[in-house]
This record gives sequence, C-alpha cells and structure tokens, in this order.
Amino acid sequence: MIDIRSARRLAVSLRSSLRGARERPLVFALSLATMAAGLLVLGTYLLIVANLRGVLERVGADLRLVAFLSASASASPAEIESTSARLRALAGVADLHYVAPDAALKRLRADLGEDAGVLDGMAANPLPGSFELVVASERRRPAELRSLASAVAAVPGVSDVRFGEAWVEGYARIVRMVEWLGAGLGAFLVLVLGAIVAGTVRLSLHARADEIQIQRLVGAGGLFVRLPFYLEGALQGGLAALAALLLLRALYALGLPLLGDALGWLVGAQTLVFFGPPEALGLVALGVGLGLGGALMSLLNLEDRP
Amino acid sequence: MIQMYHVDLRYTGGTYGLRDISLTLERGEFVFLTGASGAGKTSLLRLLFGAEQPSAGQILVAGRNISRLKPAQVPALRRQIGVIFQDFKLLPERTVFENVAIALEIAGTAKREIRTRVWSLLKRLGLGHRIDHRPRTLSGGEQQRVAIARALVNDPPLLLADEPTGNLDPALALDIMDIIADAHARGTTVIVATHDPTLLERYRHRRIVLDGGRLAGDRAPETYGVGVRSAGVTRA
Repeated sequence: MIDIRSARRLAVSLRSSLRGARERPLVFALSLATMAAGLLVLGTYLLIVANLRGVLERVGADLRLVAFLSASASASPAEIESTSARLRALAGVADLHYVAPDAALKRLRADLGEDAGVLDGMAANPLPGSFELVVASERRRPAELRSLASAVAAVPGVSDVRFGEAWVEGYARIVRMVEWLGAGLGAFLVLVLGAIVAGTVRLSLHARADEIQIQRLVGAGGLFVRLPFYLEGALQGGLAALAALLLLRALYALGLPLLGDALGWLVGAQTLVFFGPPEALGLVALGVGLGLGGALMSLLNLEDRP
Repeated sequence: MIQMYHVDLRYTGGTYGLRDISLTLERGEFVFLTGASGAGKTSLLRLLFGAEQPSAGQILVAGRNISRLKPAQVPALRRQIGVIFQDFKLLPERTVFENVAIALEIAGTAKREIRTRVWSLLKRLGLGHRIDHRPRTLSGGEQQRVAIARALVNDPPLLLADEPTGNLDPALALDIMDIIADAHARGTTVIVATHDPTLLERYRHRRIVLDGGRLAGDRAPETYGVGVRSAGVTRA
C-alpha cells in the first residue's frame, strides 16, 4: 500500500519527467523524431507482413487435399457416406466435398476446352470419384499435411491422395522467409531504437547531473531520482510510436490510390488493410517498452551515492 | 548527537583522508571544524551525511550507526541533516522558491505546507521579495541564504556547513554566520567547517582542529586564551 508521502513524491517525479522535454525541447524533439522514423520503418514492414500474410492465408484457404476413391468399382451412396464420415472425423479436415466421376469428367472437359474431343472415343468414364478436403488453417504446414495425407490414404476406399506437395513446400518457405526477415529486421530496429533512447536519457542525465546531486543531498532515494528518467523514456517511446502510426496511416491513405495498381500483382484480389486497434496498440506498447528499456539501460551505472 | 570512534577514511590507492578520529558532539552544540586546506574537514562532513563510508571505526548520528549504511538507507539519514556548501549548489533554472521547496517535495510534504513553510522561512531570511527570482539574479550572499533556507526548511536536527562563507566578502560572511547562529539558537546542532580566522574569533564556539586527516585539537570556548585541548594533551 502506497502512503500519502510516497504518492506525493510520485507526483513530483511525474512532473519532473515532463521537465526534461520542457527544458531541452530540441534534444527531446530530435530523439523523438529519430525514434519515430525507426518505428515508421518497423511499422511499414509489419504492415507489409500483415498484408502478405493475408494473401498467403487466402491462397492457403484454396488449398485442397484430394482423396481419390478406387476407380475399379463405383461406390454406392452408402459407401460414399461412410467414407465421407470417416474423412470428416480426421483431425485437420475443416470441410469436404464429394466429386462424383461424372462431375469430374465434366470438369475435365471444361478444363480441356477445345481439346475436349479427345475424350469422345472413350467407352466408359475412366475418372474415379473423389473427395476434396479443405485443410484447417493450423494444419497447412508440409509435415502436418503429409501426416494428414497418410491418415486419409489409410481410410478404406481411398486409393490415392494428392495435395500439391511442391506448392505447399513453396508456400511454407515464403511464410518462413517473411517471418525470419521480420524477426531479423525487428530485432535490429529494436536494438537501434533502444540505443537511441539510451543516448537521449544519458544526455538528459548529464544535463540534470546538478539537480540529481542536490536531490540526493536533500534525501532523495534511488527510485525518486530514476523514476523521471524511466517516465521520460516511456513517454518518448510512446509519443514516437503514436507519431509513426499517424504518419504511416497518412502515407497509407495517400499512397494506396497511387500504388494500388502496382501492388495489385503482389496481393492479387485481396484488399489492402491497415492495422486494427490491437496491432496499433501493440506498436504503441512496443514504443513505450523501447523507451523504458533504453532508460533502464542508460541508468544501469548510476550510482546511489553522490 | 554525534559520536565517532577511531574513524579512518582511506581512499583507493591507500592515501588517508582521515585517520583515527574520535570525538563526541552533544545535541544542540555549535562546533567549528577548522584546519588548513586538505586537513580533512570536507571528508569528515561527507562521512556525516553518508556521502562516504569510513574504512574503519564507527560513527553514530542521533544514536544511529551510519558506518555501514546501505545506499537505500542514506536518503532517510539525509532528510535529518541540512547541508550547506561554499558554492551554494543551487539550480539556476529554478526559482528561489523552487530551490528551497525541493527538500520538502522529496520529503513528501503537502503542497500547501510547502508554500507556507518556504514562504515564511524565506521571509525570515530576508528573501521574501526574491521568491520568484532565479539564482543568477541574486547576489552571492542572497544565493547562500537560499542554500541555507533549503538546508533548514525541513527543520533538521543537524546542520553541516562546508566553508559557507568562502565565496563571500566579510560583511556578507557575518550576515550568513548570523543566520546559522540563529538556527543554532533554535536548537539545531551545527558544524561549520571553516579556516576563516575572523569567524573563529567573532563566534566563540568549540573548535575541532584537523591536520593531515588527524585530530590535532579540540578546544572548548572557555579555554580560549588558555590553551588547546589536543588529543587528550593540553598544550600551553
């Protein structure tokens, strides 16, 4: 429980943290601008990643695992129903759709277009019935798909399973690459931004060395001395993140009509999206965390005795 | 109020700032700490307000052993001690009021009480008309009075002054000493480090003499003109 005197000291610390910005506006503004620029780069990248993920998710949603039934004997409706129930019960199958041999032939004719005549000479429909399985989004990694394919192949009545292994591998590779690149760039920017805040707080610390000395002489504790710097770092980080977010929103609004066509090939039919409230709050929290982290770093060596 | 037992202060490198200092100060005493530059006056004061820790020996301030204070315990000690320096140590960008109020803010005093106490103390010290001024617009004597106000505003039982008149001309020096004497008259225990013979002559208080970090003399006011009580030996 915080006592009244501690609460008053906290209020003094809060006012003191704003003093840094008031007394050295240029240093504060410069470091805020530098941080905002760094967070803008990070935010831009995160926005690109979010949209690319959307594209990949959409493409992934089109992913079908096809279970071919035995072509030798036509399955009875009861057998089809039974196989459907078994397949639906498998973990990772979000939905399924039965394609009868006649429907498959019709589809093939449509795909062949003008060359569909080659099918006319056949005495009977050679195509087997099949189930097209929609794979749950969390089971679209190659290893899980292979495991699901094995499980599907083991279902009685299924003679073959296809799921476009090469495409899935490529899809997984792109997602991994985007994630690793994001993690690398993120880590680099976090370090750079942390160092910027640490430098600013150190400048602030230097500028207020006399004040700290006097505060200590009249009985200020370690937290009373440190707290304004922590708050200043957090404030700077939060404001920089807000500025970056606003700038990014403005660039998004202005740039989207201009770049819409150019981006069309990249994202296809997907509508470009901006951060939602959780992502925006996350970016601001990241800024606050970076500011606080930088302040903590720069105050590590501050001695508790004058 | 203060007891020191065989206190050493040894710096990194092996040199001694103070060596085998033993002395006692009663509550409400006024003591001059004197000696040439480098004698150890400032070192002794720094030990008393916890800026240094003794390498050996024990120090008790108001019955509390401060010889091995942890950093977290130092602030509580300092809130019981007012400290004045030769160079005033004021914050140039703060007003006179803010410079004094800082001590009360750190103690967690209510705003209204801060206003009342700072205002009445500054008025008493003749600075009522300077309350919103910045230190650079004040004379040296006025700046030192602000520093004294900051040291006294908490009503500390102990006041330490390190060459408080060193930067002032003689008339202003006496003015400052009168203010410190007034604090003493109100019950504050006072230690003034000085090597100014004028002050020592004018204000008849106990004198503790340091020389090369050692206690070279401890002279009560009634012995003036008779001899110097020095490390247990009276010299004529």
